[in-house]
Amino acid sequence: MATDKDPIQEDRYVYDLKAAPNRQVTLPKTVPLPGLKTYLEEQAAAAAAEEAKWQKALADFETAKAKAEAEGKDAPKKPVRPVPKPDTNDLKFPAPAAATDPDLLHLQEVLGAKVEEIFQQAGELTCQVAKEAILEVLTLCRDDAALGYEMLADETATHYPAAKDFAFSVVYHLTSIRRSKRLRLRILVPEGFEPETAVPVYPTANWLEREIWDMLGIRFRNHPDMTRILCPEDWEAHALRKEYPTRGLGQRDIDFRQDRSGVLMRMAMEKAGNMGINLAPPRAE
Amino acid sequence: MFKNEEMEINMGPQHPSTHGVLRLKLKLDGEVVKHCRPVIGYLHRGVEKICENQTFFQGQVWTDRMDYTSAVANNLGWAEAVEKLFGISVPRRAKYIRTMLNEFNRVASHLVWLGTHAMDIGALTVFLYTFREREDILDIFEAFCGARLTTTAFRIGGLREDLPPGIEKQIRAFLAKFLDCLNEYETLLTENRIWKKRTIGTGLLNSADAIAMGVTGPVLRAAGVPFDVRKAFPYASYAEMDFEVPTRTEGDNYARYLVRLAEMRQSHRIIQQCLDGLPEGPVMAKIPRILRSEVNEVYHPTEAPKGELGYYLVGEKGSLNPYRFHVRGPGFINLQALPMMVKGGLVADCIATIGTLDVVLGEIDR
Repeated sequence: MATDKDPIQEDRYVYDLKAAPNRQVTLPKTVPLPGLKTYLEEQAAAAAAEEAKWQKALADFETAKAKAEAEGKDAPKKPVRPVPKPDTNDLKFPAPAAATDPDLLHLQEVLGAKVEEIFQQAGELTCQVAKEAILEVLTLCRDDAALGYEMLADETATHYPAAKDFAFSVVYHLTSIRRSKRLRLRILVPEGFEPETAVPVYPTANWLEREIWDMLGIRFRNHPDMTRILCPEDWEAHALRKEYPTRGLGQRDIDFRQDRSGVLMRMAMEKAGNMGINLAPPRAE
Repeated sequence: MFKNEEMEINMGPQHPSTHGVLRLKLKLDGEVVKHCRPVIGYLHRGVEKICENQTFFQGQVWTDRMDYTSAVANNLGWAEAVEKLFGISVPRRAKYIRTMLNEFNRVASHLVWLGTHAMDIGALTVFLYTFREREDILDIFEAFCGARLTTTAFRIGGLREDLPPGIEKQIRAFLAKFLDCLNEYETLLTENRIWKKRTIGTGLLNSADAIAMGVTGPVLRAAGVPFDVRKAFPYASYAEMDFEVPTRTEGDNYARYLVRLAEMRQSHRIIQQCLDGLPEGPVMAKIPRILRSEVNEVYHPTEAPKGELGYYLVGEKGSLNPYRFHVRGPGFINLQALPMMVKGGLVADCIATIGTLDVVLGEIDR
């Protein structure tokens, strides 16, 4: 198969992201941060847009009618407001709703202004708190007799490159074994901010926070062991950030099916030797 | 002449009893473990990143490959998490079949655990017995979906197809003999003197530590905490099933062994109930061919054979793939408690404790 570029002459080994324009990813343009406030705003905006469209259609009709009357032609058809088709699927989007659960109301009552938002969606309770207060809130959730969330089930983070005043959301999923209840706490964290670690309250958070540092690059203050956990210690980037490509960073771009003579493989091995990686089989000493 | 300083050794990543590529850095004083640090990540494939770049339908095949001994349980968690994200209601018959296969999977996973764990400790015979019964379960999976290990058994919204003809006979034949098989394993192990010496009093974990470390599944229940996601947060059709949550209070390796054996008996009960009370009706909900999500986030916990398996999904408006996907693997969290459990014990007890933690590195490293 003829290609316009000679694979041997071209540098096919790409480690630098900036040197690989074909591997640049398209960053997300929206900020899918679930929340009641944004949902209601979006719904209101969508309803207003639809109403404006309908009003414009009516106005167009009036002008067209006046024009037709002036010219003595037949009047145009009156527009009919479109009715949305009924959805016959077994699918009902769980919209966020105002908080009615006693736990969320209790949190808001105790913490006051530290609570930024509370809502319920798909049967799950979410409480967004101020990022500086997270350790206090976690301690309250564990020790308060009315709450009693003994166990941290999960802690993870999401990258929002399109957001203006924060870059990550960190979520804590708490479980109450005694009351069979779950609660999600959320903080919004800008780039470079180090949230307080949850390890003193929930020792489970140790590895989970190491994973967040490894995958998303959020460091936690006072964490006993802030090292990478899944990637090697000398890995440079954080894989679950949105600007990280699914291909690239050390991947060989060689089609070994066309490499009958082994030239490309040999080149790759030489190159790998330059990178300090030993791909060659070990020799007997 | 005799040195008495502490020695650091690596157990794994190629050690046969670390079940995959788990590496433990051990600091030893003679045979006594002074310090233990698990090093993981040798099997990291970036499942979360891959799933974020694939559609909701495509993501399911990756869940097969996380905990490869319990693919069906992983599929169930994924399908239900996506259904929760979209608000899809699944037909009752599909839920029953899902529950039944999930319990079969629990038995299969526990059988692999029992065989390999006993082999680690030195009882080679049990392995041959448990894999005989596991083969029958894999045959049932094969009859249902064509695959034995990486099943991708369910679809979002229900099942691809109903149960094939003849599978009921196959299942009933298995159920008829399985309790006797369990008794057979017990004759080999439960009162075995060597087995008891190796497992009683080793790998201790008390209930307070277990809760603090977030440990779930049989390990938590063997420490005396009756927490089971199937009871506490019922999913599929577990709310309609009558079963018990076996617990022990000792918190050692022997207790975990007994809990898992009792769990298999309960699974047998659940399968029987599913099969007897299987409702008629469709097995697939009516869902659009292209699923475009709205802004929503869900955390869906399920009781996988190893513990609480949670999927965290964030949906982006109009998007075909999840904006964020995170797996709360039970093995990942349970392994964190290992240093606490082996400290002060012997190196040989370390092997037994890794065995009863039931680690599968495919899910820990993801």
